Amino acid sequence: MSTDALEQTKMEKFSYDDSLVKMFLGATVLWGIVALLLGVTIAFQLAYWKLNLDLPWTTFGRLRPLHTNAAIFAFVGNAIFAGIYYSTQRLCKARLWSHILGRFHFWGWQLIIVAAALTLPLGFTQGKEYAELIWPIDVAIALVWVAFGANFLGTVLKRREKHIYVALWFYIATIVTVAVLHIVNSISLPVDFMQSYPVYAGVQDALVQWWYGHNAVAFFLTTPFLGIMYYFIPKAANRPVYSYRLSIIHFWSLVFIYIWAGPHHLLYSAVPEWVQTTGMVFSVMLWMPSWGGMINGLLTLRGVWDKVRKDPVLKFFATSVTFYGMATFEGPLLSVKSVNYLGHFTDWIVGHVHAGTIGWNYMMIAGMLYYLVPKMYKTELYSNKLANMQFWSATIGLLLYMMSMWVAGITQGLMWRAIDETGKLVYPNFIETVIRIVPMYWVRAIGGTFVLLGFFIMVYNLYKTIKNAPKNVEEDVYLAPVANHAEEPNATAHRKLEGLPVLFTILTTLAILVGGAVEIIPSLVSNKFVEANPDIKPYTSLEIAGRDIYIKEGCYVCHSQHIRPTPEEYLRYGKPSEAADSVYDRPFQWGSRRIGPDLARVGGKYNNMWHYRHMINPRDVTAGSIMPNYPWLVANKTQYDTLTRKLKVMKALGVPYSEEEINNAAENAMKQANVIAKDLSASGVDMSVENKEIVALIAYLQRLGVDSAQKKDDSVAKE
Amino acid sequence: MSDSKKDLHLLEDEKHLVLDHDYDGIHELNHPLPSWWVGIWIISIVFSIPYFMYYHIAGGDGLRATYVKDMDKLSVIKAEQAKLLGVFDVEDYKTWLSNNDGVKLGATVYEENCLSCHAEGGGGDIGPNLTDKFWINAKDRTPEEIYPVINKGVEENGMPAWGEVLSKEDMYAAMAYVISLKGSTPPKAKEPQGENIEHE
Repeated sequence: MSTDALEQTKMEKFSYDDSLVKMFLGATVLWGIVALLLGVTIAFQLAYWKLNLDLPWTTFGRLRPLHTNAAIFAFVGNAIFAGIYYSTQRLCKARLWSHILGRFHFWGWQLIIVAAALTLPLGFTQGKEYAELIWPIDVAIALVWVAFGANFLGTVLKRREKHIYVALWFYIATIVTVAVLHIVNSISLPVDFMQSYPVYAGVQDALVQWWYGHNAVAFFLTTPFLGIMYYFIPKAANRPVYSYRLSIIHFWSLVFIYIWAGPHHLLYSAVPEWVQTTGMVFSVMLWMPSWGGMINGLLTLRGVWDKVRKDPVLKFFATSVTFYGMATFEGPLLSVKSVNYLGHFTDWIVGHVHAGTIGWNYMMIAGMLYYLVPKMYKTELYSNKLANMQFWSATIGLLLYMMSMWVAGITQGLMWRAIDETGKLVYPNFIETVIRIVPMYWVRAIGGTFVLLGFFIMVYNLYKTIKNAPKNVEEDVYLAPVANHAEEPNATAHRKLEGLPVLFTILTTLAILVGGAVEIIPSLVSNKFVEANPDIKPYTSLEIAGRDIYIKEGCYVCHSQHIRPTPEEYLRYGKPSEAADSVYDRPFQWGSRRIGPDLARVGGKYNNMWHYRHMINPRDVTAGSIMPNYPWLVANKTQYDTLTRKLKVMKALGVPYSEEEINNAAENAMKQANVIAKDLSASGVDMSVENKEIVALIAYLQRLGVDSAQKKDDSVAKE
Repeated sequence: MSDSKKDLHLLEDEKHLVLDHDYDGIHELNHPLPSWWVGIWIISIVFSIPYFMYYHIAGGDGLRATYVKDMDKLSVIKAEQAKLLGVFDVEDYKTWLSNNDGVKLGATVYEENCLSCHAEGGGGDIGPNLTDKFWINAKDRTPEEIYPVINKGVEENGMPAWGEVLSKEDMYAAMAYVISLKGSTPPKAKEPQGENIEHE
């Protein structure tokens, strides 16, 4: 085309920044291997405890957070960025706004992942699920995320397309909401560079954390993938999207309703019951908005099902959307209070989560990689046969995973609640309910291995594809007219809105703020929701040291600290937990899974010697236990010198410590440690344990639930 | 724009639904919302509003209120049981022993519940040695003395009230086993604790 012709049609020449996309694709594959390898490792650790290797940095409590962080933020995160950068440029007919910001985003994010991979196994953690990373990393995440958002918005603003397509709506929702969630949930006061205490405590922390945790699933694992689905499925199938109308309705209802559903993670807990009910009903109302996305994804494939059978790209996409439909039906089901009571704290939830992450995210990512890699390297996929092998390996692996977790979860849930006619628990020893499901842990680990093997097959397939690709291909140059900003008097209101991305972003932000505000703000501003209990006192300095060890070792990964209000929980663990019980818990440690028993009232249940033996080798006191050994707790010294600073931070956050308690924190801790060590030495333990971590941990465990039990004894005494 | 539409795979029944949207070759149809989808969504909303109102406006029994009622029922059962278990009739125990191999049954109960503290063969570890003649809470190695310790436990020493967990028969069995341990030599024996109950 001559320059004259260009001027006549007002065409502009441009190209896309695809090297950044390639970088993110490479990172996706690399971190995918790491995340899946970690998942398989910890799955085998649950089946065979010896694989914890008796080393601090290889125990389940530290590796599980590493697995979840690697899977969500490293593997899925990089895939999201690749998908968003690729599709956004094309949907906007514009090159990425800033080259530098793009590289900053890429390297910043990889650095964050490396920092996470170093700190988590070393025990540096905030102790909040899916938000374990320490505060300096949190700050880095916020900065990199803002750079990503700015680059995205910059690209959208200089687009050569009047309207923004539905995929971009979902990207906008993702960028805005993840920023809000991450920042609000991470606010904390540092003790030093590696540690901080959250500004929220107990019930408040629980509400904020699960508002974050649930919506990390919604806006990190779901909405960006809906956007990716809306771009890649129509492209790969060469089919029009099924229903524009449906995409509008399900987009707005999804982003509005999702944010309300967080408290379904806290059913039967001490958060106000109206908040729990709200979480449940919004989850039920969320079912159809979620399925709106599934319908639009699957029905876009109308008329090309023969292609789905042959083309690996479409096969992965169709399977992904199907699992999305399944998981978003199971989610609302598990939010119904009575179903939740059975499934909560069991492996059912673990299976549910993996139906989403493996079924929806992994499959979608595989499809996207098979679509993008040949396209970007201007070649054909090396082997359709290998891609099919991966498909079956991953699908069979996932089905083994889900089915074993259904069996394990429902079996254990039923065993926990069984009471006989004499009012006794049928399975009073928790360990019985663990031993029963260990065979399912083997099945799950094997299923996970299949998923991992499939991934390796894909890596090989992609490697061969790239290797066979022509070298030194030039960047494609595209032509498009400048954006037409003419008025559209006859367009619908929503169509007009699609031409106004800034307004669109503001409205999306408002939609996601409402739910969180209604559910969380009341408990932050009003003491009404936390009934004061004067018997409950702050932890002593030694107990704070012990609590930090509890968090460091990731005990909350397997032990809950929250007793639900039902007779069987009362029989097994003691009276139900109340809001007042955890007013000094920063962070709260209610947990979400009981691989071991609840510890909310474990204080005084066993003597010090029992805990001592149990930590060194749990099987000495509980035959068949699958808990790792913690021999280093007897060797490592408790850090006394930081206690004054820790108590000072706690005081600044509102914990009523006296000046004496703060200034003499170390001395007081040593005194308390001495009492415990003396008791242990009476049973033959060497007195030198008094300055070791195990004593601090025992002090903390022996305090759990003791304060509110006091009250009961008093009232009995008065009678 | 029309170029990309030419290659598009379109079905006969949807040609009239194609919108004039084109994003990087992606087109959109405008199918109406599926009626079953709208129907189920409306039902989920219609269910949710009265459900919320029942519990939080009309004062229906919530989770905590239900718990209190369930516990009332349970405490009646437990009180009856406590009464039944609290009475120890040595004749009943002897009759049970004559009909069952108490020591053998007891070894299993012991292994599942007592071993973690009293160790193999009753040698003692976290809890005291059960084979020697020094006892903390019983004045004699007799069923009458030992039964209440098992049934009610000794809270300050960390001995649980097994009456809350085990049946009377299981406690009988455990007791028979423990009594049988007298003077035996466990693999690891803890040093004596408590009073000598076998005064010469």
